Parts: sequence; C-alpha cells; structure tokens
Amino acid sequence: MDNIAGSKSSLTWAVHISVLALVLLWLFPTVGLFVSSFRTGDQIATSGWWAALGEAEQNIVLRAADPDDNRVADGDQFVVTGNLLEAEGASGTITVWGTSSRAIDAYTAGETAELKGTETITVDAAGNYEWRGSEDEISGRGQRVFATITAPPEFTFENYDNMLFDPSNSEGMAKAFFNTLTVTIPATIIPIVIAAFAAYALAWMDFPGRALLIAMVVGLLVVPLQLALIPLLKLHLGIGIGKGYLGVWLAHTGFGLPLAIYLLRNYMVGLPRDIIENAKVDGATDFQIFTKIILPLSFPALASFAIFQFLWTWNDLLVAKVFLIDSTGQTTVMTNQITELLGTRGGNWEILATAAFVSIAVPLIVFFAMQRYLVRGLLAGSVK
Amino acid sequence: MKSQLFAGAAVLALSASGALAGGHLPFNPGEGAFSWDSYTAWAESAPDLSGQQVTVSGPWLTPEDDVFRSVLAYFADATGAEVIYTGSDSFEQQIVIDAEAGSAPNVAVFPQPGLAADMAARGLLYPLPDGMDEFVAANYGAGQSWVDLGTYADKDGNDQHYGFFYNVNVKSLVWYVPENFEDAGYEVPETMEELKALTEQIVADGEVPWCIGLGSGAATGWPATDWVEDMMLRTVSAEDYDAWTTNDLPFNDPKVIAAIEEFGWFARDDAKVAGGAGAVASTDFRDSPNGMFASPPGCYMHRQASFVPAFFPEDTEFGEDVDFFYFPSFAEKDLGNPVLGGGTLMAITDPSDGTNALMEFLQLPLAHEVFGAQSGFLTPLKSVNPETYLNDALRGQAEILVNATTFRFDGSDLMPGGVGAGTFWTGMVDYTGGKSATDVANEIQSSWDALK
Repeated sequence: MDNIAGSKSSLTWAVHISVLALVLLWLFPTVGLFVSSFRTGDQIATSGWWAALGEAEQNIVLRAADPDDNRVADGDQFVVTGNLLEAEGASGTITVWGTSSRAIDAYTAGETAELKGTETITVDAAGNYEWRGSEDEISGRGQRVFATITAPPEFTFENYDNMLFDPSNSEGMAKAFFNTLTVTIPATIIPIVIAAFAAYALAWMDFPGRALLIAMVVGLLVVPLQLALIPLLKLHLGIGIGKGYLGVWLAHTGFGLPLAIYLLRNYMVGLPRDIIENAKVDGATDFQIFTKIILPLSFPALASFAIFQFLWTWNDLLVAKVFLIDSTGQTTVMTNQITELLGTRGGNWEILATAAFVSIAVPLIVFFAMQRYLVRGLLAGSVK
Repeated sequence: MKSQLFAGAAVLALSASGALAGGHLPFNPGEGAFSWDSYTAWAESAPDLSGQQVTVSGPWLTPEDDVFRSVLAYFADATGAEVIYTGSDSFEQQIVIDAEAGSAPNVAVFPQPGLAADMAARGLLYPLPDGMDEFVAANYGAGQSWVDLGTYADKDGNDQHYGFFYNVNVKSLVWYVPENFEDAGYEVPETMEELKALTEQIVADGEVPWCIGLGSGAATGWPATDWVEDMMLRTVSAEDYDAWTTNDLPFNDPKVIAAIEEFGWFARDDAKVAGGAGAVASTDFRDSPNGMFASPPGCYMHRQASFVPAFFPEDTEFGEDVDFFYFPSFAEKDLGNPVLGGGTLMAITDPSDGTNALMEFLQLPLAHEVFGAQSGFLTPLKSVNPETYLNDALRGQAEILVNATTFRFDGSDLMPGGVGAGTFWTGMVDYTGGKSATDVANEIQSSWDALK
C-alpha cells in the first residue's frame, strides 16, 4: 500500500538522481561556454576550458629579448638579461625548461644551459634569464626557451570589451540590438492578437467547418517554413513591401500563427462552459465575452506563447536574412551581427562564446519576468 | 544575481556607442609604392555617378570585409557613387534566394565557379562588359585559363564571360616552423621524393611529421579534396586533371585511385599524422596548424592554402616563426611545377552604370594592391607592384602564382555541387576512416552518374 495518495513514493531517490543528472547534463556545455568567453582565442585553441579552472601545468614557448637592441657588453662577451614570462605577458613558475624543441625538459629552473661555442643561458623559476656569449652568438633573433610552467587560472574581459566597446563593433552591435527589438516586439504582439481572436472563434463559436479548420491549423504545424521562403519573398517584392520590417513582421506572424492558434484554442476550450453560457444568457455579445471573460482568464496561455514567440524571433537568423537584410546593409539583427564577428572562416571561438552570453541577456530578462506564467500556460489545456 | 549581471551587460550594450573608425582611403593618393598613375588617369575620365548606389554582396566577413570596403572607398572617391558591401556567412544560399526572388545586389562575389556557372545557366547572371575577357587574357598570369574559368553557358547555351577573378589563393603550400627544422637538422625538400624521405626520417626520429585536419562543420572533408587534387596534378598530366573535373576521366579510374592512395600514404599512417589517422577527420582544419607551434611540436609540417595564417597564433612572424615551401612535384615524373589554387570571382547580378564602372575600376592594379597591402590577398594581375603586398609570405606566394607553369583551379569547386561539395567530401572522410580507395572512388563515381 505504498502508493496511496499522500504517502511518499519509495522511488523518490531515483527521481532526484535523474533530475540532478539532467540538470548537470544541461548545465555542462553552458558552463563551458561561459568559462570560454573569458579566455583568449589562443587559450581556447590549445587547452580545454576545464584546464582554465585550476592551477595548470603548461608547456609554452618563450623568447629572449631581441639581442640587437638589448645586448650589453660585458668584457669580451655580450649579455642579454630580462624576464621571459613578463615579456610574454604570462604568469606562473617555471619548473623545467629546454632550448631545443627536441628536449624541452633538459634543464631544471636555475640551471645553466651550454649552447654552441661559449654561448650559455640561465633561466630561474621566476623567468629571469641571463643569455651570454660572443658578439656573433648574441645576434639575430632572441633565443627560444621551451618552458614547463605551473600557471594560476587566467581570465580576461578582453572578449566582452572587444564585442561591446571596440569602436569598430559597438556601433554595429548597438544598431543591431535596436533593430532586433524592432523586429521582435511587433513580431510577438501581432500573432498573439490575431491568434487570440481566432482561438476564441474556433473554441466557442459554432459555425460549419469548424472542426475542419482546426484540423487544417494543426496540419500547418508540420509544414516547414523553408518551403515558403522564395514564394513569400517574391510576393513581398511583387506587392511592393520589399525587404524590410513590414515583411519580416508578416513572415514571423505567418510562421508563428499555427502554433499560437493551436495553443490558445486548446486553452480556451478548457475554460468552464458555465461562465460563458451565463454571460450569453445575460445578453453579452461574442466580442464582450471575448474581451471581458476569455482574455483575462487566458492570460497564462497568452504569456507563455509570448515567451515562445519572443525567444524564437530573437534567436532567428533565417527569416531575418531572407525577409529583412538587404544588400544595402542598413538593417541587421543581433544573430547576423554575431555570425559576422565570427570571421570569414568562422574560427573565432572566443567571439562565439562571448556573443552567446551577450545575446542571451534580453531573453533571460523576458524569461524571468514571465516564467511563472510559462508552466501554468504549458499545463493549461493538457490537464482538465 | 546572474540575471542582474546579464541585465548589466545589456545596458552596457545599449549605452555603448562610438564613431566608426574612418574606413576612408587607408593610403593617401600619391604615397607609397601603389600604382597611383593609372588610378588618377581613370578617375579623371570616370563617369559621375553621384547619387547612385552600387551594392555588392559576398562571403567575406571580419576582417576582410573592412579591407574590401576600403578598396571600394577609392571607387566611391573617383565616381561619387555610394558603394555598399555586405558580407554573409551563408552567401551561397542567400544569393540564390535573392536572385530568384528578384532582390539581388548589383554585384555578387562568388566563392567558387560552380555556383556562378549554375546561376548563369538559370539566367540569373549578366555578362561582364565587353573587352573584359581580352583584358584578363592579356594581363593575368596564365590569363586564358582565368577567362575559361569565368566563362559559362547562359540560359540559351551560349558561352559568355561572367566571372572576373579577384582575390585568389594558392593551395600547394606546406607550412613549417624554420626553427624546429633547425633544431632537428631537417632541410626543406625540393622534390616529392625528398618530402617523402623527410616524412619517414621524422617518423624514424620518433616525432610526428604532419598535422592534417579535415573538420569544417558541414563542409568536413574539403581539405582532403585539396590534397587529392594536388596529388592528381603531380601524378597525371594537366589534361587528365581537366578531364577528371568534367568526369571525362571517371572518378574510379586507376589514375584517380592512385592519387587518393598517394594522399593515404600521408594521412592513413598513425605514425605520420598528429593524433593518429583516426584523428584526421575529427580535427578541425582551423585548429590543426596549432600543432606546429606547440611545445613540444605536435607536428612539423602542415599543407594548406595561403589563407591559413589567419589561424596561426597571434603575433606569428612570417619568415621567422613560420615559413612555407612549395608542395613539391615528383622529380621522376616530368610534369613541371603545377600549382593548385582557388579564388573568388565577381559577377554582375543586377546591371547598372555603376556596375560597369566598378568592373573597370577592378581592372586597375590599385584595386588589387590596396587589398593585398592589408590582408592575405593574392592576384594573378601582372601589373600589380609586388612591393605593396603585406608581407614576404604573400610576395613569395604571388611569385609562385605568376610564374606557375601549370595553374589549375580547385577541382572540387569545378565539379557539380553534389560531388565537389558532397560525396567527394564525405568520401574522403570515409577514406581516412579506413575504407579502401577503390570503394570510395566507386561510390563517388556512382553519385556523379546519378546527377547526369
């Protein structure tokens, strides 16, 4: 008799463990991306983000200062001194080092390496070096030193700085930000308004062919929007809308409507019949019932669809590229701006990670502001 | 707390505003080694296009987009036209949608001839101004081959000159770190036999000779097609190569299979590639050169096109930290020194007075010099002053390009999209995964047959 209502299921632990596993699975890539957004491109290319969290042992290539500018005569020899780590902007402690790519751990910190002829170099744990030899030997390029260092975690705000404040990017980003808002806000409101009216009619007004209409709306859910791109753009150009905000609003409205109508109709159909019939008996028109009773009661469903539609239009790149962005380059959206920052061959991972967190900011605010409606709205219609 | 942080970031994004850095005429007319004379002469007789807009779309994004805009600034300065360049990472899809729907830009920059030929056949491109083909034939190194590469059949099947090549890259290059070669006592090989001997020597020394990475998102496999094309040019005649790109020489011909196996000699041996043969297909091509700069070196050589320095670590100095040599040809086969290359081409998608003037402007050496002075750009135009190139590496590559005895375009870009950007890529991934060259070649050939 374990499973009587009110008593605790014996499988609670299984639920907890699977929830924990799902949460970890979900968070893992996000945390990785977040850590990566504070690392430089070179760091990302050479080591995983987890290596950045703790003190790590790294092999790095350092180089002594240019001898032609820095050497000092000492008797019949020349000397170059300095700090290898400071010159590279690195920090840490050198444990072992070498001067050839074939033997990178030939010497321990503090030892002196004998190179060709009379040339010697001494490197200590802090990276201070003394490179000594005859005039010919101390010339050309600085001596390479391969060092194994233990380095503390190192993070940088450079990526965010580059993305938000660099003069060549920030104007484009600010413009893209406002353009995206110009696209998303009407593209969220217009379908909701239309869908609310349609959903009421499909749920509570009797007319012939209603069931068929509902079936068609459900059918439209499975039509891929890619099918409509070229014909719709041709239509927009043909009737003179062209590429622009009006076109992208219409496209988003059209692509969002089937889901909106379906979601809202299912919610409205679950509202108590008695209230609506009472209102009818009292002489209310359909429009009055809709505005005074249905709309206030449907608020959770409207809010949850608004979140969906807002997130989808905010993250959208495809529809914006086809219906909004023309060859004059005056209109752009955040997603497009970000892919452009990635570079011609898409190698700038640090920008991608940073851009993800910059672009996520607004959807997060919207989500946290409205999330209490989301769960209610999603459940609405499914549980009666 | 986190959401507050993000809100802060959004506010910062909103408040951030700064003047866009000039972007106007990076080099003052008359200064430096640029070819100003021909530019000023052209500018004086250039049509007045004030108030007109010329739009250009292409695949270049940061940092090439700003460089190209600075080239266009000289055109705007001379004609008064407003020229707008927009880059897109999905240019190949977007240009088709825009041209089909009727909202195409004036000029499109195609990353490969295959797509341009396809669009020309559908009547979406307009021929270049008269005389441009003669100009290219006379002034480009290996000129006629560039004209042929830009000539496609129009809707009615008549051949017309549609594509003007601008920004070319050389693919037959092997990159290496001279100091690592010095440490180990290796010499730069002059022939393919020496390159193979060096590869074996490095393996015998217990090191890894090559870094090869084929990963490239949806385009995974393309670096291997460049290898096979280079091997084709070094094992068969240029005529056979041309026949191969049109399938007159079937893909499963023993000559092609032999070229694939030449690539396999390098890539399918665990000892010869960083990470072992299994890592070849999964390593991203953008990350693969990093092995050369690691400590200790993960590999000694990397074969990739002239654009790859964009993925080297920051502050890498050419000629000092890294250098390249020509991917050599077999001494025993008398095939000359073939060069494999690729490049972008300009085509007119919506003609106007401005497009004709822009095409005239692009024939000036200055239009090439300004790009080459700021970015990894090569041009076969002979009148360009090599001094204006950004660095010695580019000068060396330009020399290879202008002096090529045989120049051949990237074969996979000439094949139909379903093969050259489809089964050839996936077939190469299968091949590095252990499938036999014969099976792979048979499959690619049958996919080509299916397209006919």
